[in-house]
Amino acid sequence: MIPNIWLGLFSGIAFGFVIQRVGATNPNKMARAHLMMDPEIPRFMVLTVALSALGLLGLQATGEPRTVILPTSIVATGIAAIIFGIGWGLIGYCPGTCWAAAGEGRMDAVFTLLGGLVGTAVFAQLHEVLVPILYLPTSIGPLTLSDWFGNRAVGAWVLAVGFAICIWVIGKLWGCHGLSD
Amino acid sequence: MREQNKQTPYWNWISAAVALAGIIVFIFATFGPPASSSGFVSTVKGLLQIVAPDYVESKAHYRMIPGPGSWLMTFVLGMAIGGFLAGRTFKIPVRDVPEIWEKRFGPSKIRRFSAAFIGGFLILFGSRLAGGCTLGLFISGSTQLAISGLYFGAVIFGTAMLTSRIVYGKTGKEKT
Repeated sequence: MIPNIWLGLFSGIAFGFVIQRVGATNPNKMARAHLMMDPEIPRFMVLTVALSALGLLGLQATGEPRTVILPTSIVATGIAAIIFGIGWGLIGYCPGTCWAAAGEGRMDAVFTLLGGLVGTAVFAQLHEVLVPILYLPTSIGPLTLSDWFGNRAVGAWVLAVGFAICIWVIGKLWGCHGLSD
Repeated sequence: MREQNKQTPYWNWISAAVALAGIIVFIFATFGPPASSSGFVSTVKGLLQIVAPDYVESKAHYRMIPGPGSWLMTFVLGMAIGGFLAGRTFKIPVRDVPEIWEKRFGPSKIRRFSAAFIGGFLILFGSRLAGGCTLGLFISGSTQLAISGLYFGAVIFGTAMLTSRIVYGKTGKEKT
């Protein structure tokens, strides 16, 4: 067995390389994606998830890969997503892409990384206060589409079809700005 | 950007998605759900363990994530190396201030870097409250069919789209 740290390093290198090549580490491209001018990155992300869900379904047919289902907390997950979305819309980096973008040599990504380390430290300090107030009271548990649709296979296909529709809609709604420009 | 439309050095999004989904399935097969905001916790934990080991022991958030010397830590380091290798072999040089940002706010690096720092703070604070980021919650979670991942994904996309409209205003509609 290969030790975890080497698996992590290898997976990270491959991951970072691919997201640079598709342009996800380019904040200009990300901003254009958010402004509905460039459909490629959102379509890429949604297709990645759809294919991964089907891939994981295949993996689960042959073995028992480790899975971790995070609970949905209506309030905490929602507020967290809004805070995250404001940061993402402002700078065009997310916690994964900023590492690859910093490696690529983008200085603004280095500052995002530093801001991220401070944000992490501040949240860790407040964890004991915020989690009982925001997270736990409105947590509806680790729900999945499998629970809603009866089994994993149906859930995965529902997700894949739903995401395929998203990809089509993004192609219709985005892009039109880019083409007219 | 217009020249890029004719002959872009970027990979086609479908091929890139197939490649990345392959990597994600590999990660599930060899480790478990991939995550990147946890790598920030490992990093901060490692730094604080040097100066304040008792504090780290006392905090729930550091107890739930392994320190350096973990998959989570080497994964984000690998991301930086992958970005470095990809950047060295890419035609378009990087910019410290993105074109669209420069059109809106001018070429000031201090302004861009300050915003980048604040944005970094927000995305990590949000990620840690939700328990994951774009990768650790939206991509990993949705791959496992988790409602939390789908809910988080929908709200982060919606909020980021709204925010970028406010941030860039009319600049967003001009050619970049």
